[in-house]
Formats: sequence, structure tokens, C-alpha cells
Amino acid sequence: MTYTFRTALFCSSAILAASLACAASADSHLRFPIGEGPFDWAEFQAFADSHDFSGQTLDIAGAGTGRDADLLREIFAYFAEATGAEVKYSGSDSYEQDIVIAVQAGTPPDVALFPQPGLAADLAKQGHLVPLADGARQWYIDNFAAGESWADLASPTGPDGKPHVYGIFNAVDVKSLVWYSPEAFDENGYDIPESMEELKTLTDTMVDDGLTPFCLGLGAGAGTGWPATDWVEDFMLRTQPPEVYDQWVSNEIPFTDPRVVGAIEEYGYFARNDDYVDGGSSAAATIDFRDSPDGLFEFPPKCMMHRQASFIPTFFPDGIVIGEDADFFYFPAYESKDLGRPVLGSGGLATIMQDKPIAHAFLAFLQTSLPHALTAAQGKTLTPHTGVSLDAYANDTGRALAEILLSATTFRFDGSDLMPGEIGTDAFWNAMVEYTTGSLTADEAAATIQARWDSIR
Amino acid sequence: MNPLIQGLATIILGVGGCIGYFYASNLLLDKVLYPAKGPNIASNIRRANIIRPWLFIFPALLVLTVYLAYPVVGSAYRSLFNRSGDEFIALGNYVALLESPEFRRSFLNNALWAIFVPVMSVTAGLIAAQLSDTLKWGNIAKSLIFMPMAISFVGASLIWKFVYAVDSDIGLINAVLAGLFGAGPIDVIQIPFWNNFFLMFILVWIQTGFAMVILSAALRGIPEETIEAAILDGANPFQIFFRIKMPQIFSTIVVVWTTITVASLKIFDIVYAMTGGNFGTEILPSYMMSFMFRDDGRATSVALVIMIIVLPVMISNIRQAQKELR
Amino acid sequence: MENIAGKKPALSWAKNVAMATMVLIWVIPTLGLLVSSFRDRDQISATGWWQAMLPVELTARARTGTEATPEGGLYRVEGVIFDDEEAQSYFSGTPGDISAFGIRGAEPTAYPAGTTADLGDGETLTVNADGSYVWITPEEPGNRGQRVYFAAESPPKLTLDNYRTVLSGDNMGRAFLNTLTVAIPATIIPILVAAFAAYSLAWMEFPIRGLLIAGIVGLLVVPIQLALVPVLNLHNEIGVGQSFVGIWLAHTGFGMPLAVYLLRNYMAGLPRDIIECARVDGATDFQIFTKIILPLSLPALASFAIFQFLWTWNDLLVAKVFLPSADEAKVMTVKIADDLLGSRGGDWGILAAAAFVSIAVPLGVFFSLQRFLVRGLLAGSVK
Repeated sequence: MTYTFRTALFCSSAILAASLACAASADSHLRFPIGEGPFDWAEFQAFADSHDFSGQTLDIAGAGTGRDADLLREIFAYFAEATGAEVKYSGSDSYEQDIVIAVQAGTPPDVALFPQPGLAADLAKQGHLVPLADGARQWYIDNFAAGESWADLASPTGPDGKPHVYGIFNAVDVKSLVWYSPEAFDENGYDIPESMEELKTLTDTMVDDGLTPFCLGLGAGAGTGWPATDWVEDFMLRTQPPEVYDQWVSNEIPFTDPRVVGAIEEYGYFARNDDYVDGGSSAAATIDFRDSPDGLFEFPPKCMMHRQASFIPTFFPDGIVIGEDADFFYFPAYESKDLGRPVLGSGGLATIMQDKPIAHAFLAFLQTSLPHALTAAQGKTLTPHTGVSLDAYANDTGRALAEILLSATTFRFDGSDLMPGEIGTDAFWNAMVEYTTGSLTADEAAATIQARWDSIR
Repeated sequence: MNPLIQGLATIILGVGGCIGYFYASNLLLDKVLYPAKGPNIASNIRRANIIRPWLFIFPALLVLTVYLAYPVVGSAYRSLFNRSGDEFIALGNYVALLESPEFRRSFLNNALWAIFVPVMSVTAGLIAAQLSDTLKWGNIAKSLIFMPMAISFVGASLIWKFVYAVDSDIGLINAVLAGLFGAGPIDVIQIPFWNNFFLMFILVWIQTGFAMVILSAALRGIPEETIEAAILDGANPFQIFFRIKMPQIFSTIVVVWTTITVASLKIFDIVYAMTGGNFGTEILPSYMMSFMFRDDGRATSVALVIMIIVLPVMISNIRQAQKELR
Repeated sequence: MENIAGKKPALSWAKNVAMATMVLIWVIPTLGLLVSSFRDRDQISATGWWQAMLPVELTARARTGTEATPEGGLYRVEGVIFDDEEAQSYFSGTPGDISAFGIRGAEPTAYPAGTTADLGDGETLTVNADGSYVWITPEEPGNRGQRVYFAAESPPKLTLDNYRTVLSGDNMGRAFLNTLTVAIPATIIPILVAAFAAYSLAWMEFPIRGLLIAGIVGLLVVPIQLALVPVLNLHNEIGVGQSFVGIWLAHTGFGMPLAVYLLRNYMAGLPRDIIECARVDGATDFQIFTKIILPLSLPALASFAIFQFLWTWNDLLVAKVFLPSADEAKVMTVKIADDLLGSRGGDWGILAAAAFVSIAVPLGVFFSLQRFLVRGLLAGSVK
């Protein structure tokens, strides 16, 4: 990390002077040296031999900023190394707006990393994305666990009214996780809850012990509110069969359906109880989601648990060792409901926006195992790529995460990410903020979202 | 290309192009088309003088037409069509807006901004101007109060996060509350309705300096004799201020008022950075952003509503300009 | 005025106090940001910026050593708690005295320094104010020492690290250059164009002059949000797209009404005789403009220049729409709003430093050109 990070710093300051020299020096500072480690270097070499884009530049845009962006750049460096091209990545906190503006302006990046397949589907339908070559569907089936369903997620309807594979999932996260400090659990004699009933009991025990069970932060700039939508989705999967979840995501059953309102209220059971949430539920709306886990690591701790996806360790304070200072458990299901072990996940979809050979080559690069193994090795995100050995994961925590992904009886993709952009990246978020602060009831929040959905039909 | 060199090149090109255009077009007019010599000298000069104003004003008119007039007309037209722009729905978008509670809230908030910010800025600016003109350290005070004018809205929002933060170890307001009254932390950004005023105060903080500088200059422009006469007549300072000074600088106040009203309607950055439009602080520009590029019909109709709010200011300004001309 | 103030010292006193209060309210928020920009993340979250010069009490954790000496069936471990690497990581300088300690994270300050904590089963722990500790345990310690939580004062620390991070990393230098690249042409071009237009509207006779002036004043209040979509589409069609040229043109267009309005008012106020004389002497309008009007209008030009510069430098909306979202084209406001606020949401020190870097140039411009501003605006808006 530090090594390449320094390079990145050096690059940005030296860019004025000599960007070429810099690109060259970055190559020799690849984080995982070529030829070492549990990576398929032969495949990489074959890719490098068949692709040469020396002197060309590939523009990539995505939502990751700061440390996230640095990790992405680490992976892109291997594409640069293989092809001789220069890769420029730009991240933005308001990516959802920026990419739409860029499309409108006719200056989209070569490759776009969509944190939401829903937004990608909007753009695909308008004809702004370039479908992949025909073999892509088969590639998913051959290489991804549950490849069919991943291929379906990556295949929105094109302008011709037919579905095409438009992209490759390059970063997969498991969302049904609760992070905690093992030491704090030990000191207080708490056990990992195995069911939602136990989690609720544990929550009350913590309150009785004078502790605050949860840290919750919904703040995310223009994306404020999204962490709450994950809770609701997790509860949809824990109170209803997956089929109902699918119908909800496609709006075959409306938001105002009692089953959906029930899931919102399940979230409210935790989030709207001032005893359960650090600072009270209204504070949750202004606390930044990136800062919210910090409370786990203070003395005395501000909270004991934090429900958040597998990427959150990126935002833990410096010096926190995963597996020692922080660990996670599976956000459990109701024992009484017999819905198995549902897992909610999400993934970034890399798509081509400019029909250039170098963009197609980059997507071909993503169809090798290396980038998927690298993202696992960074300890940042997971991959359903079956060609990546568990050894590639940075630590036991990563392997345990991958096992959660594999042991799921039901895997469902983040519903808000699949809804149309105006719902999944706007109305749903805003309504959940208002529900969390108590200015809307669950029924009212659901009605607001449904009204917006009706208006875009 | 290095952006600095590119920038320099464009400055030279742009500026050179501008000067070149004005110079060359005049030359063309005077030397080639209607030279001020030969048999038709009188009519040539007359014709040249009819055309010349248009040469001078043409570039400005062009950009005004392209960047402001055309968008107004185009938006008005676009707002009559549906989401994808292929179906004429007359006032359908406006009806949908009126039915939306979010829109009504944004509209009311925007109206609040357009009233509260100019009132507060002009009042505070007037007080500051009046006070600073009579104090020895008035100029230093003026500079300090003017300083926020130079700060970006994003920077200003950051500055005010250090004032409004809930954590009493970061937020000044909560620190004062806790220190003086022992009161628990309050999140001023989430107090229903009143949170708008905390956001507006940021703009007041920025605009007061502007109002102060101009009003102070106007106050100094008042002839000494009128004030001395009033003092001799036994008027007290408050009478002097309200009866003598205020009427004399009234036209300046109107100009300042207009400028600040316009600024407060264009504001987008403060709400965007402070709340993202949540907690009932949505205003029309930020409300519009959630439709922009997704539903242009709806977005343009919101923009036109913003213009309608400004309409009274616009009309009074045009009247004023017409009066000046006569 | 002064004689009034002189007559009533109470009033003068009240004026001073009122002015001072107002100045304080106006300055304190900025001061807070300035002070915070020199503090690190831990210090900022531990105490308010107004306490920056005081030591901060931090709660830290550490482990005791494991080298035990047997003592009457028990094991005795001694040492200094600050020797532990983890303990050191919390403090920026030499830590002060320990005020209290604890053995559970939930109660990190359960025991005052110097007292002995009973851990049960004959196990005890004593931590003194100077950091020395004695741990008595009935079982031989394994390879992990006893967990200790403690509160101690960390000395105040002001640092330039935040500025270093902002200026060297995250492409901030590039964003700074980009902002300059946007702001300078977007200030000069509209002034030139507006000056010619203002002159013709002020001093040249032509048919629909009044109508044009009214129109331009009307456009003064058009919200630019309205123009974003159509203009972006237009830029797209003529091949400008999202680019620096596009944003220069956009700023030129959006700033034009105010520029023409201010400059026309100013120029119309210039003495008629000078211009008439020049006309009689046979000067053309072009010569009158360049030789007489421009030099005389310098204050108004400068004041508009300051306004337009501040506006383009500080703009977020136009930059978001008319510049590509790629990193190498981001201006500072976009960088701060979309990148720093996001990735460094809790790193207030970094954010503060970034804000000050973005404020520095406009503040410098403002203070150096302040006197032009007042003169120019006064002449432009006050008859």
C-alpha cells in the first residue's frame, strides 16, 4: 500500500514536469511483483503479448475517491504494464450526476465503473453503452460462481429492446455483515449472535449494560441515505422469500405493499430507537458513513456493532488490524422464518462508453483472472471468480468473507442499485433519511418513493 | 498539452481575437465599405455611424443570446414536453410540480431565501457601514467583514461546519451551549424549518460585506450640509439616520437589494454541501438537480419557476433602466 | 458626525462594542477553520479549536509486558506503559501524566492513577501517574500482556502536515492550476466584450438602444441553472463539449449582463464634454473608446474584474457541468466538494487546509485590489 501510494503522490506532483517518466517509474512499483504470489501470471503474459497500446491513454471514471481510488489505480497499473498504455482514473463523490452530465455533453470516459447496475441500465437503454462481444455471457457462466445470474445482472436492455452483456463485475462486496471489536465483545462476555432473534436480545443486553449497540451513519454527500437502503434490503430478504424481493425490485409489487413497509419498519426497529444508535437516530442522518465505524474503536466505545458492507475497513482509522482490532459476523436471519441464509451483495460494473479498441482491451483484461485476484489480495472487495484461489485473499477475514458469499443459500444483488436511477439513487435515499430522522412514517416514506416511481413510468 | 500553456495561449488568442475583431471590423467599415472621402463623404460617414454601434455591441449580443436568451426561450418550450421530449403535454409538468410536496417545500424555502437573505444582508451591511464610518478602526473592520466575499461557497460551508457540528468538541455552537448552559448537543442542521435560517445565515455572512462597502460609499456621498443642518435643528442621531440619510441612499439600497436577491436565488452550493437537500432544506436549484438530465421537461419547468420568483425584481429593474434613459 | 459621537461618550462606546461584536461574529468562523487546518485528526476530534493551545486528554490502550518474576506463588510484571508501541502511537509528543486507567474498554478510566485495580482471583494491576505499572498475576503470563486502558494528556501540537498532504497529494496542485486556467480567461474576455457593448449603449445613438438596455437588465436575473442544459447541448453540437473553451464561453455569457450593466452605468456617467470635444476634433468612435473611455473607466473595469474573478474562482455549478469530470480537469471547488469531502469526510484538518488553499488566491486578489472595487462599484451603481 504505502509503496504505490507514495508513487501516486509522486506522480501527481511531478505530472507537470514529466508525466511520461512518471508512468514508467510507476510500472516498476507494482504492488504485487510480476511472477510472484498466487496469481495466474501466464494468463497475464498471454494478455500482454497480444495487446499493445503504447502511447495511448485510457480514461476511466468511477465513484471511488481517496484510498478507494488508489486501490483501483493499483489494479489498473497492471493493464498499463501489459499494454504500455497510460490509464487515467477519475473518481467523484457525485459520480451519479457527473456521468450523466458527461454523457449529455458527449464526453463520456472510455470506460465507466458503475457502482449501480441500475444507472448503467438507464444509459444502456439510451444507447450510451457499448455491448461486449458475444462470448461474454459464456465467460460469466464459465468463470463466475452462479455465472448465469451475474450475466443477467450485467445484461440490461439495449436500445434495440434486447438484453446484451454490457459489462464485467470488477468488484463485489458482501453487504450482510456486522462489524465489531472482538476485544470489546470478550471483555463484556458477548457471543456472536446466530439468529436475528439473538441479535435483538444481544442489542437489549448491551443497552442494559449501559452500552450503545449500533453506530449508524447515513451521510454520503449527494448520496446521503444509501446505507439505510441496505438495511431495508437485508430485511426484505430476512422477512420475505427471494421472489418477493425480486418483485419489489422490479416494482411488480409497489413500495407501499405491507411486506415492503414491514421491512422498512424492521430497519426502524434498530435505527429509530435512540437507545440503540450512537447519538440517537437523528444524528445518524448527518454522520458520514465513512466516519461512523470510528465509534467501535474509541475508549469507551461509542458503539459495539456496525452493520456495513465488506468494503468498510478501507475507512477504519489508521492502525486498525482486521481480524484483531476489528472483525465481522454475518448479519443473521430469523430462525423462526426459515428463509435460509440470505446474503445481500453489490458489485461495480465496468462498461465501455467509447467504442475504442483500448476500451475493449480493458474489458478483455477484466475477463482474465488477474484483476479479480488482485482485488481479493488488496483485501478491499471480493470476487465470485472461481479462478481466484482463496490463497489470494489478503487475510483470514477476506477468506471468511468469501466463504459467506459461497455459503449463501440465497444471494441477491443490492436492490436499490437495480432500480431506475431516479428511485435507487435519489428518491429511495431521501425517503430513508426522512424516515430515519422520524419526519416520515414508514408508510409515508414508501408512498413518497412509489409516487416518484409512478411518475417516471 | 500543459494546461498552463494552453491557458496562456487561449488568453492571448481570446483577448487578441477580441481586440482584432473590434479593430479589423472598424477598419473595414471606415476604409473599405464607407471611406470618409470621395464624392459621398457625408453619406458614407452617416452610414458608417449607423452600422458602427452594431459592430461594437455584436459580440455581447451574440453571447447574451446564445447563453441566456435562447436558453430561456428554449427551456420554456421544452418544459411543455414530457420526460423524453417526444410528447407535448402543455402545462403537465407544472401541474405535476404543484402536486409534489417536495416542490412546494423547495418553493417556499426558495422564497424564504429570496426575502430573508437580502433583508438581513442589507440591514447588517447598513449597520456595519454606519458604525465603521464613525470609528477609527473602521477600515480594518470593513476589510474583515468583507473578507467572506472572497471565500467560495464550498469553503464557506466547510467553515460553517465547524460552527454547526453536533459534536461539542468540533462545533462552536454546541460548545457554547454545553459550556455556558450545560445543554445537550443540538443538531442545528436538523431543526425543522429553522435549519433553513442557519443555512441562509451563511449567505448573509458572505453578502453583508458587499452591501456594507457599497452602502458605506453611498453614505459618504451624502452632502455634509444636509446633515449639519439637521443637527442644528436638533435632530438626534436616529432621526438623522432614518429621516435624512436613508432617503438619500434609497436608490443604492435598491441596487444592492436586487444584486443580493439574484445571488440568493442562484445559490445551490451551500445547500448542496451542507445538507444535500435533506431535512427539509431543499431549494429549487438543488431540487432541479435531481431531475436534470433525467427528466428535462421537469427540470426546465423548475428553472422557469425560479425565473417567475425573480420576475418582480426583473420588471422593476427594467422600469428603472427605462427611467434612467429618459 | 464626529461631534455627535464626541458629545455622547456612551454612544461612542456602544458603537465600538457593537462593531467589535459584529467583526467577531464575522471573523470567528474563519479563524476556527484556520486553526483547525494546523491540527491533526485526533486533536481536532478530541478538543475544540479554541483549545488548540492546551494539552488534549486522550484515552489510549496498551499491553503490559510479559517478563514475569515469580514472587511467593504469584508472578510480578513491572514496566512503563509508554514503552508499549501501541501506547506510543496515540501521542504526538511526550505524553503527560496518566490521570486514570482501566482494564475494560467500556470503562477506560475506572481507577485513578496510583490506585490498584483488583482483577479477581488475586490478580491486581497498579498504574502510576508516570506510566510505571505493576501487574501481579497468579498464572504465568503467556505471550500476551494484560490489556490496559488509560487517559493521559497529549501536548498541544500544531503542524503543517495537512497543508503538505493537500498540496502534494490528491492532485490538488493540478486543480489549483485548472482553477487559474478557468478564472483568468473567463475574467478578461467578458470585460473586453462588455466594454465595447457598454460604450455603444452609453454613447452611441441607434434605434433600439433603450430596448436592448432593458433586455440586458432583464437577463441580469436569469438563473443560470436554466441555461445549463440547452447550452451544454449546444456545446455538444458545435463540438466544444466539456472543455476549458466551453467553460470560458459559458462564464463569458453568464457574466455578460452584470458586466454590461455596471460598465454602461459607469460610462454613461463620464463627462459629456470630453467625448463631444473629441468628436469635434475628428476622432472616430474607435479612437474615443480606446484613448478616452477605457482609461477613464479603469476603476469600473477593475471592480468588475474582481467580481468576475471571485465568481469564476469560487464557482462549483458551472464547473461541474461544463468541465469533464476527469481528475485532470477538476477545479478546486469540485475537488473539495466531490473528492475531499467524500474520501476524507472525517479528516477535518485536511479539509480545512484544502479550503484555505482555495481561499488564498481570492483573498490576495481582494485585499490588493480592494480600493478599486469600492471606487468602481460606487461609480457604477450610484448616481
